[in-house]
Amino acid sequence: MVMSTSVVQRALRRDVARFVSARRYHTEPRPLKSPEDWSDFQLERASYKMLIDHFSAFGSTQTRENTFQPHHSLHRPPPPSQLSLSALLASGAHFGHSKSIMNPNFMPYAYGVRAGITVIDLDQTLPLLRRAAQLVRSIAAKDGIIVFVGTRPDLRPIVRKAAERVGSQGYHIGEKWLPGTLTNKLEMFGPDVVKNGRVVPDLVVFLNPIANIHAIRECAIEHIPTIGIVDSNVDPRVVMYPIPANDESTRTAELVSGVLSVAGREGVAIREREKAVQDKLRVRRIAKSYRLPQH
Amino acid sequence: MNVLGVGRSSFRTAVAALRNTQTSRALATTARPYVPPASLEHVAPPRPRRSRIKTKPESSAFFTGRAGYYDSIDSLESAIHHSQRALKNLHLLPLPAFAKEALPPLQTVWKTKEDMSELLSAKLTTSRYRRVTGLLGQLNDHRRVADVGGYAELSSGLSSVLETFERDNKDAVLARGIRKPVKFDEYGRSYTVGKRKESAARVWIIPVKQRAAPAPTETQAASPDFGTVDPISIDSDPTAAVSMTEVLVNGMPLAKCFPLPADRERIIRPFRLTGLLGAYNVFAIVRGGGTTGQSGAVAHGIAKGLAAHVPDIELILKRSKLIRRDPRMVERKKTGLAKARKRYAWVKR
Repeated sequence: MVMSTSVVQRALRRDVARFVSARRYHTEPRPLKSPEDWSDFQLERASYKMLIDHFSAFGSTQTRENTFQPHHSLHRPPPPSQLSLSALLASGAHFGHSKSIMNPNFMPYAYGVRAGITVIDLDQTLPLLRRAAQLVRSIAAKDGIIVFVGTRPDLRPIVRKAAERVGSQGYHIGEKWLPGTLTNKLEMFGPDVVKNGRVVPDLVVFLNPIANIHAIRECAIEHIPTIGIVDSNVDPRVVMYPIPANDESTRTAELVSGVLSVAGREGVAIREREKAVQDKLRVRRIAKSYRLPQH
Repeated sequence: MNVLGVGRSSFRTAVAALRNTQTSRALATTARPYVPPASLEHVAPPRPRRSRIKTKPESSAFFTGRAGYYDSIDSLESAIHHSQRALKNLHLLPLPAFAKEALPPLQTVWKTKEDMSELLSAKLTTSRYRRVTGLLGQLNDHRRVADVGGYAELSSGLSSVLETFERDNKDAVLARGIRKPVKFDEYGRSYTVGKRKESAARVWIIPVKQRAAPAPTETQAASPDFGTVDPISIDSDPTAAVSMTEVLVNGMPLAKCFPLPADRERIIRPFRLTGLLGAYNVFAIVRGGGTTGQSGAVAHGIAKGLAAHVPDIELILKRSKLIRRDPRMVERKKTGLAKARKRYAWVKR
């Protein structure tokens, strides 16, 4: 039974009045057999929701639209120009690992120790993150391939979204980096693909570098620049552009990958604009060469 | 240039001599330091490159090495997410427990692991196959909810996605194990076949023709509808005759064919359990085996026939294992043993 919107609205208005008078707050468990039973079940729920929505207008001015929602950190990242220290702090990027396992090479990026935990200096993280964003932007502007690597279950949707944001130049690895992806590409992808396609990325971003140390080594062998979130137990020199931050926090990973992918998107837009300008100039030149002589 | 070339090669040989166990790959960063191509632009003229434009990979999961598999996982998950959001807006999800039980079953048969691997163009291990079928199951649940809610468009959209993952002979597979419906002839007789051990019985069951029923009195309780039988209350009419079930096996009456009471009880058991004794007559032709096998075969045929006449009875017969063909057969004799299980006498020496 398909319901049109007006029928639903009329039914809902009638049901709200009935609902309020009957004081039915929850759908009572009863067997659902016929399509009418199912549509009654739907209407009951819809009327309850309508009641809430109706009275919400008289309550707080904060609505779903103008408040923070947990999915905003993934779907609405700040652009690099609007990145602030408080955003990094809010995502928990300053929490390092235990003091006892701090890598001595990480010392320049450590602010101090509190409660046995290394606190990361976000005053250094912020410009390093913006530097990494600038790198992503310029590589994307030169038609570079950018690969986002996050091999944890909670990082999977993050890298996927980041690759989507960059567009046709963005790629993601959410589960496992197969050893030999770069060093054994002929056998992995086949000679045709290697000959006719681009199988070497121009930039790789690691959201959890400790788990992907083999991938980092392959990138070093193939001379591919790397960006990575380095925590206090990691030597920052493993990647070319380290971003000292908490690698265990999902929100931090969302923020970092969001900032970098927005920068990538900007780079792609720059490239599109330049290409449009070049095309226009080319068309003008061709038109000039075909201009008929004036009599 | 020549000097540089000579110097470079001598340096390489020196390094190679020092570490002759390592491969040239390991010396990539020490033997020949990396110089970015941009820095060589003004040093050496760029080699004339063949104009081959290399294309970027299509799939965004190309560098995983299993693009087909991960792409399909991503698209299935996004389909699940979108359909869940749509059903949530329609107030059909989340479903409470009582509503979940009321959902009509929409059983599907997914493709085999090999067929699925071919479809996704990626070799699937068992864990990956299970993951894919898990996601397909979730999508199928959403389809069921959309179906029962009456949203044909959403349901058909989900069906079109799921059909590619279903087996071609899905209907044949689902129909397996379902008994063919028993046909009745023009006299209302059912024909069924029963088997036990080496015996096979062909059984015809016909309802007993009722005599003219007496006028119903107030004392008679309301009776449930069991075929054409009107239960006669003995207390109300003690003179009324009780109808009898007549069983003919190979043309002989039951008592003559099966002298042992155990065999006769076995044949009558379906009637006793269902309370239909006196409602139906039975004619059976049985061949093969001995008394136990033949009586068991007739009982099996009777059970199937009664279930055809009175479908409500099927659950009782199923629970009492009468409708199931007893799979026990004579076990074969094995070499080195006297019989199927009997061993020869053990001798110490």
